[in-house]
Amino acid sequence: MKIRLLICLILITGLFSSCKKWLEVEPESEIAAPVLFSTENGFMEAINGVYNRSTESDLYGKELTFGTTEVLAQNFSMREDGQDYRQTSLYNYKHGEFIKRKDKIWAGLYNAIVNCNLILENVDAKKNIFNGNNYAIVKGEALALRAYLHFDLLRLFAPSYLRNPSAKGIPYANKYTKEITPVSSVSETINLIIKDLEESKQLLIADPIRSAGYIVNYPLVTDTLKNTEEKNSSLFLQNRRHRLNYYAVCGTLARVYLYKNDKVKALQNAKEVIDSKKFPWTAKSDFEAFEDSKKDRILYKELVFGWYIPGAAKDIKDNWFQSGTRGFYLIEDAADYIYEKATAGASDSRYKYWLSATSSQSSRSYDIVKYRRNPLSTEAGANLHYLIAPAIRLSEMYYIAAECSYASNPTVAVNYLTQVREARQIGDPLTINNEEDLLKELLKDSRKEWLAEGQLFYMYKRLNRGIVGQTGVIIPASDNIFVLPLPNDEVVYGGR
Amino acid sequence: MRRVKIKFLLVMKLTTILLLVGALHVSASTFSQTVTLSRRKTSLKQVFKEIKKQTGYFFFYKGQLLQDKPDVMVEFNNASLVDALNASLKDQKLSYNIVNKTIVISRKENLPVVAASLAVKIEVKGVVADKATGETLPGVSVSIKNGASVGITNDKGEFKVNVDEGSILVFSYVGYDLFETKVTATKTLNVKLTSKMTQMNDVVVTGYQTIKKDNYTGNAVTISGDQLRRVNPQNLLQSIGTFDPSFKLIDNNLAGSNPNRIPSINVRGASALPSGDGQVLRRDDIQGSVNMPVFMLDGYEVSVQKVFDLDVNRIASVTSLKDAAATAIYGSRAANGVIVITTKTPLEGKLRVEYNYELNLTAADLSDYQVLDAAEKLDYEVLAGLYSSAKQQVSQDQLDEIYYHKKANVVGGVNSYWLSQPLRNTIGHKHAVNLDGGSQAFRYNVNLRYQTRPGAMKGSARDQYSGGMSFQYNVKKLQFRNELSITQVGATESPYGDFSSYVRMNPYYPLKDANGMAMRISDVYEKQDRSKEYVFNPLFDASLSSFNKSKYTEIIDNLSADLEVAKDLRLRGQMSVTTRSNTDDVFTSPMANKYYLYTTDKIDEKGEYMNREMKETYWDSNIRLTWLKQIGGNYFNALVGVNARTELRDQKEFTAIGFANDRFTSIGFAKGYAEDGKPQSRLEKARLFGSFFSMNYSYKNRYLMDGTVRIDGSSKFGVNNKLAPFWSFGLGWNVHQEEFLKGNPVISQLRIKASTGLTGSVEFDPYLSKTIYKYNTGNWYSSGIGAGVNSYGNENLGWQKTRMTDIGIDIGLFKDRVMIMPRIYKKFTKDILADITLPPSTGFLSYKENLGDMENKGAELGITVDALRSKDWSVNLNANMVTNRNKVVRISNALKKYNDRADELQSLKPGDGGYRGIPLLRFSEGQAFNAIYGVRSLGIDPENGRELYLKRDGTLTYDYDKRDYVVIGDPNPKVSGYFGGTVNYKRFSLYVQFQTYFGGDKYNLTLVERVENADPRYNVDKRVFEEKWKQPGDLSFYKNIADNGETDVSSRFIQPDNLINLQSVNFSYDMNKKIASKLSMSSLMFQVTANDVVRWSSVKEERGINYPFTRSLTFSVRAAF
Repeated sequence: MKIRLLICLILITGLFSSCKKWLEVEPESEIAAPVLFSTENGFMEAINGVYNRSTESDLYGKELTFGTTEVLAQNFSMREDGQDYRQTSLYNYKHGEFIKRKDKIWAGLYNAIVNCNLILENVDAKKNIFNGNNYAIVKGEALALRAYLHFDLLRLFAPSYLRNPSAKGIPYANKYTKEITPVSSVSETINLIIKDLEESKQLLIADPIRSAGYIVNYPLVTDTLKNTEEKNSSLFLQNRRHRLNYYAVCGTLARVYLYKNDKVKALQNAKEVIDSKKFPWTAKSDFEAFEDSKKDRILYKELVFGWYIPGAAKDIKDNWFQSGTRGFYLIEDAADYIYEKATAGASDSRYKYWLSATSSQSSRSYDIVKYRRNPLSTEAGANLHYLIAPAIRLSEMYYIAAECSYASNPTVAVNYLTQVREARQIGDPLTINNEEDLLKELLKDSRKEWLAEGQLFYMYKRLNRGIVGQTGVIIPASDNIFVLPLPNDEVVYGGR
Repeated sequence: MRRVKIKFLLVMKLTTILLLVGALHVSASTFSQTVTLSRRKTSLKQVFKEIKKQTGYFFFYKGQLLQDKPDVMVEFNNASLVDALNASLKDQKLSYNIVNKTIVISRKENLPVVAASLAVKIEVKGVVADKATGETLPGVSVSIKNGASVGITNDKGEFKVNVDEGSILVFSYVGYDLFETKVTATKTLNVKLTSKMTQMNDVVVTGYQTIKKDNYTGNAVTISGDQLRRVNPQNLLQSIGTFDPSFKLIDNNLAGSNPNRIPSINVRGASALPSGDGQVLRRDDIQGSVNMPVFMLDGYEVSVQKVFDLDVNRIASVTSLKDAAATAIYGSRAANGVIVITTKTPLEGKLRVEYNYELNLTAADLSDYQVLDAAEKLDYEVLAGLYSSAKQQVSQDQLDEIYYHKKANVVGGVNSYWLSQPLRNTIGHKHAVNLDGGSQAFRYNVNLRYQTRPGAMKGSARDQYSGGMSFQYNVKKLQFRNELSITQVGATESPYGDFSSYVRMNPYYPLKDANGMAMRISDVYEKQDRSKEYVFNPLFDASLSSFNKSKYTEIIDNLSADLEVAKDLRLRGQMSVTTRSNTDDVFTSPMANKYYLYTTDKIDEKGEYMNREMKETYWDSNIRLTWLKQIGGNYFNALVGVNARTELRDQKEFTAIGFANDRFTSIGFAKGYAEDGKPQSRLEKARLFGSFFSMNYSYKNRYLMDGTVRIDGSSKFGVNNKLAPFWSFGLGWNVHQEEFLKGNPVISQLRIKASTGLTGSVEFDPYLSKTIYKYNTGNWYSSGIGAGVNSYGNENLGWQKTRMTDIGIDIGLFKDRVMIMPRIYKKFTKDILADITLPPSTGFLSYKENLGDMENKGAELGITVDALRSKDWSVNLNANMVTNRNKVVRISNALKKYNDRADELQSLKPGDGGYRGIPLLRFSEGQAFNAIYGVRSLGIDPENGRELYLKRDGTLTYDYDKRDYVVIGDPNPKVSGYFGGTVNYKRFSLYVQFQTYFGGDKYNLTLVERVENADPRYNVDKRVFEEKWKQPGDLSFYKNIADNGETDVSSRFIQPDNLINLQSVNFSYDMNKKIASKLSMSSLMFQVTANDVVRWSSVKEERGINYPFTRSLTFSVRAAF
């Protein structure tokens, strides 16, 4: 009897002690973080996930490319208010719709950042599971993304460095935690951003895009001697320009250093991109091609970095840039003013091919067709290039180089700007007598170049200059305009 | 060892003395040297006790000395102590010694030993029969106590054995209690065995253990299957509520008596808070399973749906376990109570066939609907100013034209009663066959059921088919049992849509056109912005081939084995597997009214088909060791075991759109997926492991103790919190077993018990504790698929903890003919799962945390009175009631945010997606979770017809301000319960049960939506004619008739909510067995049950908004062959 009892007890305790492992259940239609980060593929999917998150319409899929920030730069006409942006263009930061969009930008960017932090917290321990150079790419891009996203948060929600480097900046989230990250000052934030970017740059030193064999071209070009962007057998290593590649990191660094007014480092990084000769100017024949499918509207080859947004095609066509005045558009007077129709505009390809006149009963206006797709075909390759939200352009590097080198060598500086103008078929010569003239010209050309790309607002803010309205009326510079209020939830639950 | 025992006994004695001091102080006042005692038959121990009481002398002896000593007969009249002792100890082989004031009892030495060989063999014969029915029992085993089996009864129940004189015979039979008797001489014995079934009310089935009710400190309500069938043969869940008022079905005023709506249940008040998915909660439509008790069917956990679809005939008993002592053995699932259901086991004997037929009639109860007829409605429209050009901004000519058009209808005799259109009186059938039989070694059962449950709305139905098979195999000390059951349920929703759309239709609209076809559009209104509002005829949609049906097939196999490892020790193992596959198909015809306004470019997108499939698999197993042992007066019932469970749910869903016409209802006819539509799937897995120890101990049936410990592990917990301990402890005292109450003519039972413990609940999504990534399958990045983090996984996530404390008394008076059972309890639920709002800079908007406390305090009272008992007549009365106070103690910041959202929506008109005039649930600390919030109202100012509000600071205002929100009503009744009784006359029986509650508040939505804010363009409640304020000086309940603004939530519409409902009337006749046997049946029984017959409520409100409530009548016949 005692033996039998013993057997029973052993049976029961035996079952009990082996249960802990059994209780570990992994989800299947979703995936738990430790499982995802147990393979190289998982890390790649997580990196892709950050880009995916960033291209949603609350971030670079709309608001930060041709939504809120572009409206704030007065680049769209608001006579008709099809998408409820008029109050935003009037800088009414108490307007419900604006608050919703701005809060989503804040939450969305930090949500993308959390994804970076999860990768960064796991990647070092798993260094040995990576093949080739992939560890450096994954880690380098995660760092670069974290910095890039924080930089846009800083440019939106904190005063500019020029105004007050010691002002309250933003929380620099570099841990995966639910604890509240303290707010860093503007200069502290910039330093953290630079630190991440510099580390990323080191890691990406062996980025395939730096190899001589990496040739930038249109995806339709299948000749492997002329285009190698999609030739890598690993999908993860294709289309480097859709991700934060080595040169994109240089470009971002140039941007950040300039924001910090460190012109030496800014120039150095901008020149690294320019001197790489990786990114050829768009040929006139491509820009001005007659057939939609042969046309390069986005100046694809000049993009150092762009967000891949094919999913936005339908909304761009039907809602955001629909023909007429319900979507984003420019009235004739505004377009003529921005592109200086009377002078430089006459031959500017951007004026001729990014705007398409439509007439309604009352007045003439322009559709903005920068993102227009070939309407005759639904094929992905129906256009010369993918649908992309430009993030860093080669031209911006020229602008930065111009701005940073004027003090030391005005001729070279002006020449940088002239090269951009020539690439856009502007023949009028520039008359620049001092640095102020150069800045004015840079601002004007940036506005033409960056139409519906979301960068101009930051430039006004960086230089603390009044925002030029649709037809030249200056809206005075002020932190009331340049600094977007923090979301209510951030103030209340983060104790800001 | 012995010393320990003595010491133990002494300690026990001391404890007893201490406990009894209070009660005994009167009798302990004087002592004498003489003894007066007269007992016909009593134990030595009692004699000693009595002597001690009278003389003050203590007795000292070893515990086992008095064991097995025969009872004595004493007759002392002022006898001296020595005489009394001599007389008592005569023939007991005991001697005594008096030292000071202590009498030491010891074994008498040199006793002549009776040699075993001297024992005489005698022949004993007799008949064994069932005590209750008198039927003889074949196959009963007869053995000598602690010895060999000596025989078995034959097919007439007779036995004949040869045994030693003085030995004890034991009769054992499965399903019956053991019976022991000592044989002293050759004689005929008539042995009556008591069936375990008939004693169901004397034991408590906890699912893992069976404990004598007398010895149990837990709080359990046991209901037999017959009792349940009597209350409501169609609705098991409602029947349970009748016996245990703490088991509360939450009234769903929207879903009414929809046969496919599975009710939500609370046991002893709510203990969960909503997790904020952004949705606001209407109080008349509280859903979700977070508060559901756990249902255990024959030892394994099942869903409420399984219980809902269970064949009531299969049920042997239901036990509702509520307090910690009773539920702690279920650990992390126990906090909301446990309902233990046992099904019938196969009976032994010749093949027995039982057949049951039920005929169920239902009819919608429209007594709460008072709508206007055609003429009244048109008059009302005129009064409401629909035809006054000043109000409508339309020319009077146009309005006149509309008016006379309608008038023509009215005069022409159009007076449609829309309410009856979607309704029907239904007839449901049920056929159930049950076959039993077998020998003691092998028994089997086969059962089949076919049941239809048509709903009161045309086309809605729930049809249930089930079949089952079980067998039981007994070999010596091993028992196997396997049950297989298959259930198929088909549920169809009515194509007629929501009942409310018929309630609002104007009676002057004709139902059908001249051809007898339902016309599509009944009316068109032009709105102020010149756009049109169509009034669609809901009968048109009903005439299409749209459908909404679901089906599931469920297979359960339950295998158990029971091994007697040693005497008093049994090892039981059980394993059950459940698989269920569910299918939902919803088709909306392309002709449906909702597509009427589709623009031409979407013409090929009309019609929709949704298909959802879900496969569920559950494994549940346990192994347990039970030990039942009596050592002297100590009775132990101990249990140790482990339990493991896995759950797997795999769901797939897709929707196709674009159907050519109304005839092609198969999904293959669809044009394609909806734009951006893609298939959906979800896979959920969860595992639970628990090990438990439980001990029920009683000393001499007087002092009771229960203790339970369970440690649970669940895959849902965070990694830092994998094991959860739960426990309970209970003490009880059977006062009626004490000497001073024995033979008391009034008090026959008095038990005091108290228990406390900690239980838990883990009703939440399985992966909340993990950081989960979701794949972005619909949108690949150019360098591959992306995965993004979905939620912050809280690795510290744990279970809800509920601390329960119970105190109860069982009082039985007059031989238990009156039973009174009061209980009080406190249930404090800690660490309720809640959303915590995060600053978005963390990357997340919120995460789940155990934060939130809720308290429920209450009292329960049950009374049964055996009022009359005679040869032909018996009358039993019963009443039970419960009162529960609920209080939210702590809530999270996310719920405070939820309140803001409720505020916002409550200031929006219903047309704009808001809930103006509807008090939404909101939460604040210190208030009941379902308290009604609004602004206090002083009624309508007779001066101007405006509502006068009381601000927070006590000043008066006409301006409604949500900052003045206070609690304006508590919907929880002060007392709720049931009362009724049974009258039996010979073989006829009448059973009546009333439901009642009172003392709560209700916000009468009908008065707001259908009277004061009534939309005059649609049909409304008759009370709309009641005086509204018209001119200064009018004293009116309703505001100015000319005020078309929406009414806000105020205390004006709070009404006291009292109810009496004649819930159940049952009449039955059980045919005399003799007559039945002439019909070659062993029994035949007829029953009629009427449910929800009449109700009297203090609130006149439309009930059953989307589906009406029903009354039902069930006839049933049960025959056994």
